Parts: sequence; C-alpha cells; structure tokens
Amino acid sequence: MSPMRLCVPGEKLCSVEDCNQGTGVYQRHGYIYSSLAGYVMRKNEGEELPVISVVRETEALLLPDVGAIVTCKVTGINSRFAKVHILYVGSTPLKDRFRGTIRKEDVRESEKDKISLGDVQSTYLLTTAENELGVVVAHSEAGAQMIPISWREMQCPQTNIKEFRKVARVQPEYLEA
Amino acid sequence: MAGLELLSDQGYRLDGRKATELRKVQARMGVFAQADGSAYLEQGNTKALAVVYGPHEMRGSRSRALHDRAVINCQYSMATFSTAERKRRPHGDRKSTEMSLHLKQTFEAAVMTQLFPRSQIDIYVKILQSDGGNYSVCVNAATLAVIDAGIPMRDYVCACTVGFVDETPLADLCYAEESGGVSSLALALLPRGGQIALVQMDARLHQDHLETLIEAAMTACKCVSKVLDEVVRQHLQETSVLSR
Repeated sequence: MSPMRLCVPGEKLCSVEDCNQGTGVYQRHGYIYSSLAGYVMRKNEGEELPVISVVRETEALLLPDVGAIVTCKVTGINSRFAKVHILYVGSTPLKDRFRGTIRKEDVRESEKDKISLGDVQSTYLLTTAENELGVVVAHSEAGAQMIPISWREMQCPQTNIKEFRKVARVQPEYLEA
Repeated sequence: MAGLELLSDQGYRLDGRKATELRKVQARMGVFAQADGSAYLEQGNTKALAVVYGPHEMRGSRSRALHDRAVINCQYSMATFSTAERKRRPHGDRKSTEMSLHLKQTFEAAVMTQLFPRSQIDIYVKILQSDGGNYSVCVNAATLAVIDAGIPMRDYVCACTVGFVDETPLADLCYAEESGGVSSLALALLPRGGQIALVQMDARLHQDHLETLIEAAMTACKCVSKVLDEVVRQHLQETSVLSR
C-alpha cells in the first residue's frame, strides 16, 4: 500500500464534489474536514464518488447503533425482562460494557405476551425476535456448556437434562472454524 | 513591587521575553496507558496533566443523559504543591468549579458530541506547577488528551492568556505578570476557522484596547496551534512505526 497521509483534526481534506463522507470526517461549507488524528483512506466505490474516511491505528470508538447486531452476556433475569451487558458490537469488542434490556415480549416474534407501558428506558433495548438471534452459549445448572437440540431447547451433556432457551440459528459465515 | 518593570523601555519583559513571545511549550501524548487519552504539557514553568475517559455510558444519575449528544464532564484541580504556598483545598473551591465549567464550555464547542448520544466523556486536568496562564495550559493539554483518545473534534482548541501593559499587549502571561496588576484576558480559539470558543476576563480594560488585545490573543493562539500540531504529528508517526 502506498504510504498513507497523516491528518489532524480540522484539516481540510477535499471538497464535497470530489468525495463522499465516511467515518472520522465532517462536512462544512462545501468542504470535508478531518475530525480525528490518523490516516486518510480513500475507498473507490465503482461508479459513485470515492468515500473518504480517517482511521486510527487502534480500535475505533464504538457505540451500539440502532439496528446493530450485538453480543451480550445476561446479568440478571426477571419475570418481565432480562438485563444484559453488551460486550461486542458486530465482531469488534467494546472497551467498556454497556447495559441493555431484553423485554419478555421482544424475545420471540410469535408468542407475544402482554406489553407493559410507561417504563422509562435508560438502557439499550434489545430484541432476539429473529431466527438468527438468540442464545449462543449457555451453561446448565450442573455447570457444563449445553448443546442446542432444537430452536427452543438445549441439552446438558453431563446430566442430559433439557432446558428451554431461544436458540439462535447462527449464519454459517459468522461461525469460525 | 517597586522596581519591577513589566515591560522595560527596550521592550523586554520580566523573564526576558518580548511582548509577543510565547513561553517554551513542551508536550507529550499518551503518558498513561490505562486512560483512553492522556497528555502532559508544559508552557514555561506551568505544568499540566490531562486525562480523558470516554465516551462511555453515563455514570451516576442516568437522568442527566442527553438523548442526542454526549455530556462532557470536566474536572479541574491543582496539586497541593503547585503554588508557592501549599494549597489547603485543591478541589471543590470556587475557583476550581469555575475553571471546570469554563473547560466544559470550551470543549462542548469543539468536540463532536452529536456522534455519541446518551454517553459521557470525562476530562480531568491537574495543574502540577502553576506559573500563570492556568486556564490556557489546561485547555492545550486537554486538547492533546482528547486527540489521543480518538474522540472526533472539529478542530484543535488552543488557548492563551494575554495582558495589556503600557499600550502593548503581552502574550502568555506568567504568574508575576498576572499578579502585578495587568488586565488579563484568556481566549480559547479554534485556529483553522478562527472561531472563538471562550473569552474570559475579570479585570478592567478600556474599550478601545479590547480589539487589539483580542487580536493579539488570536495570533498567540495560532502560534500555539502550530506547536501542538507538531506534537500530534510526531506522536502519530512514532506510534505507527512501532505498531507496524
């Protein structure tokens, strides 16, 4: 790769007509400026204008965005909802754990229970109401890691007890060898 | 203080500088590994350490979270050994609270908080040695720390304290000049756009001199920004060479 250009916050990169905005940049008065200290990357999109973005070497700051697929760990269960800690957004780990909630009615698409109104939400609201979403790792009461049997049951290999979980049908491309 | 001339006839100040000359600036970024961003900056004898954490989830009262942008939380404190006499109360006194508020306002103007709704960015600045221009050194150190943390900003924020003596604006005041009865003005600037983030003065100055003083402050801030730019570029080159 050709040596990439360093840039600092506030540096004018190009005009809006030359490139589209990517991450790490902002637009003002018809020009694109950098907002991070890092390297300028220009990606060619084919027919459209190239996308210009600024990247740092270390992991980018991530916040869970609406519509993102996240990986979380359940920290508490209630009859109405489960509290989770969000650990990964997509495939990048977060530096800090964010708190989230999965309400009972958001677990399955088909069996919808009563919806509670008026709760002030100050955490991220999550849902597992799709085939690819749900439990990926679970431990049984005996402590062993359970194996999924169907889309709603998992079995413990030590005691052979079946427990109910909403199992995720993970797409093959997400499964690593 | 009889006999101490703030500006001599030949145009030299108490420490031998000319009227528009800044003190020597030395800075280092990334001094702490555990914080998200950190920087140490010296401007003459004033030394400041800035540490940035974030953006992370709101700590404490969730009700203070803003739904469309991040909250910037600044804390300014001085080390007990930073002044000539040992400081009795380093945090919580009125001066520190006022400074923290000024720093918060300054950085809210520069940091792109709309990218991080419902989260919090913490900026902690500590003065290790105080020799005048505390606010300016804090702002400059905090700018480097925020850049080190990778938080998007519109531009650098550079600050300088200027004073007016004998019809001449003096740039970058030291403690002796500040306490010698000079009307001092602190200005924080976003250098590329020329936008002023904060102006602070609590002295008496004739209206006619205000424009000259602000002009002098803006020029001084642009000089500071050149120095900070060098520091950032050098740090980027050093860290990238190591990780490649």
